[in-house]
Amino acid sequence: MLAEYLEGNIRFLPSVDSWEEGIKKAADPLLHNGSITPQYIEDMIGNVNTNGPYIVIVPGIAMPHAKNDGSVVKTSVSYLKLEEPVKFPKDKEVHTFFVLAAEDSTGHLDLISDLSSILIEDEIKNKLEESKSEQEILEVLKMVE
Amino acid sequence: MADAAHAKDNGVDTNTPSTRAKVQAFGGFLTNMVLPNIGAFIAWGLLTALFIPTGWIPNEELAQIVDPAINYLLPLLLAITGGRMVGGQRGAVMGAIGAIGLIVGADIPMFLGAMVIGPLGGLIIKKFDKIIENRVPAGFEMIVNNFSLGILGFLLMILSFYFIGPTIESANNLVTAAIEALVATGLLPLLSLINEPAKVLFLNNVIDQGIYYPLGMQASAEVGKSIYFTVASNPGPGLGLLLAFTFFGKKTARRTAPGAMIIHFLGGIHELYFPYVLMKPLTIIGMIAGGMSGIAVFSLFDAGLTAGPSPGSIIAYLGLTPKGNFIGIIAGVLVAAVVTFLVTAFILKLDRSSDEEDISASVEKSKAMKQAGKEASATRQKNEEINTISFVCDAGAGSSAMGATTFRKKLQKNDIEGLEVKHYRIEDAPQHSDIIVVHEDLQERAKGAHPDKEIITIENYLNDPALERLMERLKKE
Repeated sequence: MLAEYLEGNIRFLPSVDSWEEGIKKAADPLLHNGSITPQYIEDMIGNVNTNGPYIVIVPGIAMPHAKNDGSVVKTSVSYLKLEEPVKFPKDKEVHTFFVLAAEDSTGHLDLISDLSSILIEDEIKNKLEESKSEQEILEVLKMVE
Repeated sequence: MADAAHAKDNGVDTNTPSTRAKVQAFGGFLTNMVLPNIGAFIAWGLLTALFIPTGWIPNEELAQIVDPAINYLLPLLLAITGGRMVGGQRGAVMGAIGAIGLIVGADIPMFLGAMVIGPLGGLIIKKFDKIIENRVPAGFEMIVNNFSLGILGFLLMILSFYFIGPTIESANNLVTAAIEALVATGLLPLLSLINEPAKVLFLNNVIDQGIYYPLGMQASAEVGKSIYFTVASNPGPGLGLLLAFTFFGKKTARRTAPGAMIIHFLGGIHELYFPYVLMKPLTIIGMIAGGMSGIAVFSLFDAGLTAGPSPGSIIAYLGLTPKGNFIGIIAGVLVAAVVTFLVTAFILKLDRSSDEEDISASVEKSKAMKQAGKEASATRQKNEEINTISFVCDAGAGSSAMGATTFRKKLQKNDIEGLEVKHYRIEDAPQHSDIIVVHEDLQERAKGAHPDKEIITIENYLNDPALERLMERLKKE
């Protein structure tokens, strides 16, 4: 499920200047294929500014997301891996972004469930972090599904 | 609202909840169902007072809103609130679905029905969700959720259309028959025994325009006035009730009562005080006492009105008072207001003092509990059984869902069953949650929204030491 959604939405970058830019770059594929509007990116950044960096769900990994106020067209996920981690508020370092855009609060639960399976298992999580190409990542994901 | 929570605590904490605590919890439930919707009652009251044909600035077009608002909007709001209190957002939807069957199935405003069907709908969907929890394969949650609510709602809609609506309507017919029987006895003050409860159930127009005004019309045609116009439309008791709430009511009820009073007494929209009686049903005694005294005074002075005061405002009353009857009419209204005020004030004070006991008792209790464990947040209700754990976040879609899913998986691994672990927006976490889990960045908001709940704060939605401690606690159970 997750692999299906991620196909074509995976990016690798050496580094970004700020966490805001990280979120923008990570969400770029979704903006490009029309799954979200620019407003959603603003909302995700605003979410961190108002509520703090709680989207850093495990050390090193952020799941930027926000409430859908008409800014999510289609439930979708994208992935960004940085070679150089970027600092979020409270000095939280992040090298991996999973941008989550959900139409409502139930439709994407299978995606979240897959994502949680991956992050729970240290072995799989490490493999994911070592992956260098979209192909490799999709293969790791298919292992858990 | 805090009263409700305290009353509820009382019911849960002690092993044998006293009857009083149970009654209080029920009263708190009614209050919480009615109070959030008072604004809608006021909006409707203003609209009605201004624009109906007998209003201040009659406006045929705007008056079209009056009927749909009282028949649909207000009962639906009560049903939605009642449903949400029992079964969260899904309960709210279920309550509304049930209520619409009821509304369409009857010819009178379905307030009592909505206050029954709302919580019932919430209960049905909550029980159902409990049964199917953990049995739905991943990826099918949405379809199962939507169709279960759809199908159960469909059935509830039909049930309430055919059975519950007509049941309440036949109760209405019974009221009509009883009033006719009482009129026949000639003991007019007794009418209040039926008038007041019937009014509060929004049958006021039915009894006034269906029974008393036709009776009054006959007498008025012969002698120029009739007491029947006054027996159910006297604005005095409502004034007394709202005054009592203004001085002796609690919190929100107390603050909203003065506004309601103006719309009721000057605007003549009696519906404004009904919610206050519905939230403290005992106050109906004050209403009956006031109504009875009013009728007794009107009889004593042989006073009457020339036509049906509609709406029943003090201004309409004075406008319809024939010469020589002013003293009797004014005295009847004032006496009714004073009697209702005194009786209601007594009832509210009684209620209040017992509540204060409870509050101080529960403060003592929580102090004792705090001392028992030093891990402040994790131990507030240490001894209680844990059934429901709610993960919350800003939107209720992302990180909370991640946390809840992961925790469910871990529970499964540890063979722990029978727990409800779900994700919500912070403010939407249901009342029956035993524990609320939130990211530390959001803890202030969670504490504000759920002051009476145990809140566990985490930094990591997947592997947090606090979640591991929670898991250990659950293993022991």
